Amino acid sequence: MPKRRDILAIVLIVLPWTLLITVWHQSTIAPLLAVHKACGCFIKLFILSTQLQHYPGLSDDGGDSRRDLAAGLDSKEYCLSDRDIVEVVRTEYVYTRPPPWSDTLPTIHVITPTYSRPVQKAELTRLANTLLHVPNLHWILVEDSQRRTPLITRLLRDTGLNYTHLNVETPRNYKLRGDMRDPRIPRGTMQRNLALRWLRETFNKNNSQPGIVYFADDDNTYSLELFEEMRSTRKVSVWPVAFVGGLRYESPKVNAAGKVYGWKTVFDPHRPFAIDMAGFAVNLRLILQRSQAYFKLRGVKGGYQESSLLRELVTLSDLEPKAANCTKILVWHTRTEKPVLVNEGKKGFTDPNVEI
Amino acid sequence: MKSLLFSRFLLLLPWVLIVIIVLDIDSSRAPLPALAPRGGGGGSGGARPAAAAAAAAGRAPPPRRPEAALPTIYAITPTYSRPVQKAELTRLANTFRQVARLHWILVEDAAARSELVSRFVAGAGLPCTHLHVPTPRRYKRPGLPRATEQRNAGLAWLRQRHQHLPPPQPGVLFFADDDNTYSLELFQEMRTTRKVSVWPVGLVGGRRYERPVVENGKVVGWYTGWRADRPFAIDMAGFAVSLQVILSHPKAVFKRRGSQPGMQESDFLKQITTVEELEPKANNCTKVLVWHTRTEKVNLANEPKHHLDTVNIEV
Repeated sequence: MPKRRDILAIVLIVLPWTLLITVWHQSTIAPLLAVHKACGCFIKLFILSTQLQHYPGLSDDGGDSRRDLAAGLDSKEYCLSDRDIVEVVRTEYVYTRPPPWSDTLPTIHVITPTYSRPVQKAELTRLANTLLHVPNLHWILVEDSQRRTPLITRLLRDTGLNYTHLNVETPRNYKLRGDMRDPRIPRGTMQRNLALRWLRETFNKNNSQPGIVYFADDDNTYSLELFEEMRSTRKVSVWPVAFVGGLRYESPKVNAAGKVYGWKTVFDPHRPFAIDMAGFAVNLRLILQRSQAYFKLRGVKGGYQESSLLRELVTLSDLEPKAANCTKILVWHTRTEKPVLVNEGKKGFTDPNVEI
Repeated sequence: MKSLLFSRFLLLLPWVLIVIIVLDIDSSRAPLPALAPRGGGGGSGGARPAAAAAAAAGRAPPPRRPEAALPTIYAITPTYSRPVQKAELTRLANTFRQVARLHWILVEDAAARSELVSRFVAGAGLPCTHLHVPTPRRYKRPGLPRATEQRNAGLAWLRQRHQHLPPPQPGVLFFADDDNTYSLELFQEMRTTRKVSVWPVGLVGGRRYERPVVENGKVVGWYTGWRADRPFAIDMAGFAVSLQVILSHPKAVFKRRGSQPGMQESDFLKQITTVEELEPKANNCTKVLVWHTRTEKVNLANEPKHHLDTVNIEV
């Protein structure tokens, strides 16, 4: 016959352990942390209590035991400080990961040519901050350099974006020198062509993975709505761009039937495609089908670069107007001022190892 | 005798554990943060889909308790109407939306709230407060400090909001101009500000960067290309102040009378802190996490003098 006292003892032992186990299962990280701390505290208290055991008659040995107990309490408070919890979550917010990859959304391949100058890292940082919001985005960054630079390598790795890092150096006689804005020599052309070639080598024409190709310069400003507009491109879609051609914005002319029939620009509106690089997107399938379509490198008149590619891909009537029939501005052709570095002097003043 | 004590101890052990855990849960459950009315929440609600997406990605969702303990970052941005205004605010919002618990205080240099900014705030996707205060015309001369009234309006709003709440939620305040560039790491660094923290700023002062000089974890000087004799030779983008300090110095504002060009930051900081108290961030002020970029003035040479278009499109 089990004695009542034994049953009571068993219950008293089993009950708290089951409670503990249920709490443990319901917990997420924070209570785990708490338990971890509790364990730490418990260990301290355990040690404390074993020490106490050696003092039979707790109430008698007032001074020492009380002091030890107080020390135990102090350590308990230390365990439960908020500061530690804040410290732990700190590292979770380094870079928000891009939205999870979806199998149904077409991938947007964003081709960005870039070149080394003081504002390069700043421009790419804020562009990355925008791109991090866009689901199913693949960033193709092409450097105008002989080798892939560590600055870009590190930046791309730290953003957490899905990226491809390429490089090709524009031969000296094609490069713009200093501030000279000679419109005959388009900047970034070789880099964009390299990206197109990479796409054609990487993706199979018969591969059914849908994709959109967009050329994004690193100093423009893009709204998030733009990327969602371009995702439904079947062949080539177009939309207005702000701050180009000496106007508040340039835009395709759209008739009542929703077809593009002209260009609302002041600067040479009779170009085959009077549109800025940031004003159109091409379906990947079209890029893969017309495998010889590239940006023309030599002998391109100012403002005709976009036409040199588009005329090999599509006709005017095939263009799909986006952004509410080309009445909303979703991309701005901003340009960043050249920073004043006059205090660096001829030899440079600041530590060149500090990356900017 | 010993075995009796031992068994009693084993009996008490699990109960003690439970008591500790319960106490820990109770003490760490911070009071629910009183979020400002989400004037700019909109349908998109930037932070929440991001958190939900993160959870879907398999990462454990940020636990509610530590998120409540995360200090709120208040960004005061003065803005004024010019062609690139919407573009600047758009890309700034794209950056801010990546930051958890950031409250944006947008102050227009205007006599009334403009439609453009009001519409923008409504669809911004993050908690936003839209204020406005016009700069008196006599202060709009080149060489005079800019955006003083707007920043002070932001400070006043913050102080007024927190005078009615119980002990203030931990918060950090910084001044974000709308054309600068901010890396996401910067917000991590400033969140642990206890009083006033400082860090390097890129592309300012005629140099690649300016920074506080740090020795043994304390600021001892300034590495700058312009007037290094200032008490705080730092740019507006180079420091953050904890909410506690702002609230405990209710008279600290940006000076208008008697203000010299380039002394804005110094005049403000010397009212609330000393150089010894400054907390260096960004790896002892050796990393550039914010750049003082400026956007070119837009070429509108081809715009007709009078509006010729059939539609009116906002840019």
